[in-house]
Amino acid sequence: MSKLIALRTDSRLVKSLGATLTALPAYQSALADAPPAFTEVGLRYSHYSEDSLPEDSVIFRSRSRYDIDVTQLWIEAPVGGAWSIALDVQNDAMSGASPWFVGLGLDGEPGVIMSGASIQDNRVEVGVTTRYFWADGNAGLAISHSDEDDYEALSFAFDVAWNSADNSRTWTASASSSNDTVSPVKERIPVFIDEESLNTQSIYFGVSQILSQTRIARIGLSYTQSDGYLTDPYKFADRRPDTHDKWTLSAGYRQFMVNMDAALQADYRYYHDDWGTDSHTLEIGWHQNLGNHILAPYLRYYTQGEADFFSPIADRSQAFYADDYRLSSYGALTAGVRWTVQLGDWGIEAQAERYRSSNDWGLFDGDAAPALVDFWRATVGLSWRFD
Amino acid sequence: MKTVLFNTALFMLPLWLHGCTTIEPVAAWERGYLADPAMQWERGKREAKFAGHVYTSKEASSGGAGAAGGGCGCN
Amino acid sequence: MKFKRSAVGGLLALLLLAAPAIGEDVGVMAPGFSLPAIANATGTIDLDALRGDVVYLDFWASWCGPCRLSLPALDGLYQELQDQGLHVVAVSVDVVEEDSLDFLARYPVTYPVAIDTTGDTARSFAVNGMPSGYLIDRSGTVQSVHVGFKRGDEESLRHEILELLAP
Repeated sequence: MSKLIALRTDSRLVKSLGATLTALPAYQSALADAPPAFTEVGLRYSHYSEDSLPEDSVIFRSRSRYDIDVTQLWIEAPVGGAWSIALDVQNDAMSGASPWFVGLGLDGEPGVIMSGASIQDNRVEVGVTTRYFWADGNAGLAISHSDEDDYEALSFAFDVAWNSADNSRTWTASASSSNDTVSPVKERIPVFIDEESLNTQSIYFGVSQILSQTRIARIGLSYTQSDGYLTDPYKFADRRPDTHDKWTLSAGYRQFMVNMDAALQADYRYYHDDWGTDSHTLEIGWHQNLGNHILAPYLRYYTQGEADFFSPIADRSQAFYADDYRLSSYGALTAGVRWTVQLGDWGIEAQAERYRSSNDWGLFDGDAAPALVDFWRATVGLSWRFD
Repeated sequence: MKTVLFNTALFMLPLWLHGCTTIEPVAAWERGYLADPAMQWERGKREAKFAGHVYTSKEASSGGAGAAGGGCGCN
Repeated sequence: MKFKRSAVGGLLALLLLAAPAIGEDVGVMAPGFSLPAIANATGTIDLDALRGDVVYLDFWASWCGPCRLSLPALDGLYQELQDQGLHVVAVSVDVVEEDSLDFLARYPVTYPVAIDTTGDTARSFAVNGMPSGYLIDRSGTVQSVHVGFKRGDEESLRHEILELLAP
């Protein structure tokens, strides 16, 4: 099952040529909404690697976890004067083991029994997005299909952005729907279902406002509802409700520091769901212009509270139960850096980040899951713009 | 201790927000800084999609700016 | 207190901007200006000196995405119709002149380009979006205003210009 998830060097102009117009921010609405000026093709490769579990966390089998290679390929082009179309293809090649269940070790502490020999799986996702532009805004429709051994998903998404008369405020709304089918592979570990399905519906409303020549902020609200088979079929002791309601409240802020030729970025999200989990996410970034390069270090702090039915060792006497670390209380910190450069029609990007989590770093109370994940991730990408 | 820190941060939030809510009108020809690539809301469409995917599959939370996207085997 | 002042300030600025609003600009005499030239001309570019010919006045900036399409497209029109009396004058609103020069190095044009670093000329024309083009007839009256630029816009613009060029 997928787990993954010239020129003059000091000119700001040369970098601004890298900005795409299909973004929705309010400040770019001063340019009057228009399709991208040029066709762009791009390729990105990312490697994601989870740390091996500490010795005293694992009761049985391999300590090593997931490794994933992700390739993203895209082409985005203007069509006529008012449309654009984009094709996105993503391939995830996964291998590794994941926690099967949590039991009591000889030391009296909870420990993980892993899923056995290395799994190899491949996921392919293809998506098409069409977008229509008019004087005051734009609207897009996206269809995507994801396919792997044990999971298939078809989703639709619609979004619209509308600019106020003086173009200082932009309203955005989007809705999406996904229809998924789970058919777990039976050779690795015992599973108890053949094929199940689940549906997810989501809506989002947001508004962004220009505050001054150098500052812009936005807020947004989203509601997501899933129903169907929501349990993890690869976990021995896992039984979840067949509905899941989720809410998020988000805020973002960007400020350009003229003297430093850099921008400060801050984003916050509050999440709440009906399984008992609340979370806070805060991300701060500093985007530094350096000639036609941008170097952007960032930090992300995340903390979540445990689901009502979570316990380190699943309590199977309850109606619902799970020992999945992803439903436990913990805090996580990501430190990363992103580098981009625009050289004429070519764009290059490189990014690396490190994620570490711990029950001690969380703001919410709750017992520690023995299998919290730590990972690092690196990405390189190339894009080309042409007429 | 954790709750004290959290509650303090929560109380500070309105003060911080107030500093950001004074709105000055910005003419169309004065939007150069706002148009700087360093001021984008997202780090790049494909990076945003990828990062969102990683966090949604490894953490309990999902969503944020934009409706939840398509599915994958990520519970 | 701060909010009240900025609200009043905002209202005044809005009224100022609304004064010759886009719709009202049409049929109005184009405000004169004299701005320093940065390409294809020396000294200053004076709008009133072009009275008697048809002028397309284009406000652009190095940070304006659609300008990567509009500047070359306008150059095409200029090269085709300058013998018939069309002038194209581009006014950059970049705060830093170097940014405009870098843009022109990548997207060169043959018509005169001036720079308005203070934004005063843009304000006098009530520029409401980027890019903004003002089609001015032989008598110096603004006949149409074009905000934004998409591929193919130069076609309809060509028809408008030909009508004004007709003796």
